Amino acid sequence: MNLIDKYIAEVGKHLPRRQRADIEAEIRSTLMDMLEERKQAETASEAEVVALLKEYGEPRKVAESYVGPRYLIGPKLYPLFELVTKIVLTVIFAIALAGLALSLSRSSLMGLEFLQRVGESALNLLGSLIAIFGNIVLVFAILERTLSAKDMEDESEEWDPAKLESEPDPDEVKIGDQIWNILFMVLFLIIFNLNANPDAWYIRENDWNFLSLRFTDAFLSYLPWINTLAALEIAMGIYMIRQQIWTTATRIVNIALQLAWIALGVVMLRGPNLIESATGFSRLGNLMASVTLTIIIIVSCIEVAQMVYRLMKTRPALPYPMVK
Amino acid sequence: MENSSDPLQNMLLELRRGILSLAVLSQLSNEQYGYSLLKALSDQGMEIDQSTLYPLLRRLESQGLLQSDWRIVNEARPRRYYVISAQGKAVLSTLKREWSAMTETMTKMLS
Repeated sequence: MNLIDKYIAEVGKHLPRRQRADIEAEIRSTLMDMLEERKQAETASEAEVVALLKEYGEPRKVAESYVGPRYLIGPKLYPLFELVTKIVLTVIFAIALAGLALSLSRSSLMGLEFLQRVGESALNLLGSLIAIFGNIVLVFAILERTLSAKDMEDESEEWDPAKLESEPDPDEVKIGDQIWNILFMVLFLIIFNLNANPDAWYIRENDWNFLSLRFTDAFLSYLPWINTLAALEIAMGIYMIRQQIWTTATRIVNIALQLAWIALGVVMLRGPNLIESATGFSRLGNLMASVTLTIIIIVSCIEVAQMVYRLMKTRPALPYPMVK
Repeated sequence: MENSSDPLQNMLLELRRGILSLAVLSQLSNEQYGYSLLKALSDQGMEIDQSTLYPLLRRLESQGLLQSDWRIVNEARPRRYYVISAQGKAVLSTLKREWSAMTETMTKMLS
């Protein structure tokens, strides 16, 4: 990302989403015209670009000149508003999803009643999200009107384009995360499949098998599903490492995969004991299994929330290409 | 930096602000992109900041006085071209008459 891209992204952060792509395109076009007038745009040195951007103005002020003074939440507070909204709504969504999954796992509802509960929870969640969003807007609108002009001024020293930060690409695949996920899944497969035979899994202490835990038949009946989902997860991870970019299709596949994990987790939590022990530690073993499943459900819910958010936040289209 | 407490600066700013719309409308009988308009105004002695011109162009467009579209001309980059609309022409014609009357009055008053 070159300096002009970073500059335009910084201006864009302070603009309403609806107008962002259009204004960004116009600023880019003007900057290139200005640069071209001075010399070949492709050969301009960084110092020349820095001088140009300084001349064009501080990103927030440039954005302000477009947006004008009439707004509910102004350019100064808007990036913070966006950040707070993202965090709060994602956390609430993930907590609600995890809460629903856990309550369903403890209930004995089936069929239509089960679907009715899911529908009611979805409506309640939507209502809560709207109410919370409204409150965030209200708080920021009040801040916008109560903070004095002095509070809103930057105390910072002179603006320097060279210090602009790169905007992380939300569609970029984080390779590290994918590798960890694959390693985790491989470990998952090894642990469950190597210990699928009775009496093979125990914790040794001074060569004394004091826990003697083993998987029940109920757990073994879930094993094909676990293996299938883990294999799909590994395949997805390898594919994403090769693709390096999230698309709508891969996000939808990943959401489906996470929902399948959540469903499997709920079924396993609702089902019979997963662990048994010859030495009276089956309660401890099943508690450990429940905690692990709960963690998996919560992590999957967070991932679904993030993916749904990214799916809904598609990039605004450029105003061109147009007819020549 | 603009000193908002300086009354002279404030008055000059208001004076300029009032005539910028007229100046911009007068130069858009032929379509121009933002930077070429900036240069055209500057060549005729009307210096204007990009941060003032572009928002003004958008405002005039939202009022229906200008039309714009993105185009690629002569293999160059995409640029937004602006041109005065029919409504803009009518407004410009009225503004021109008002401007002539005002300058006549002011010249008399200031002489």
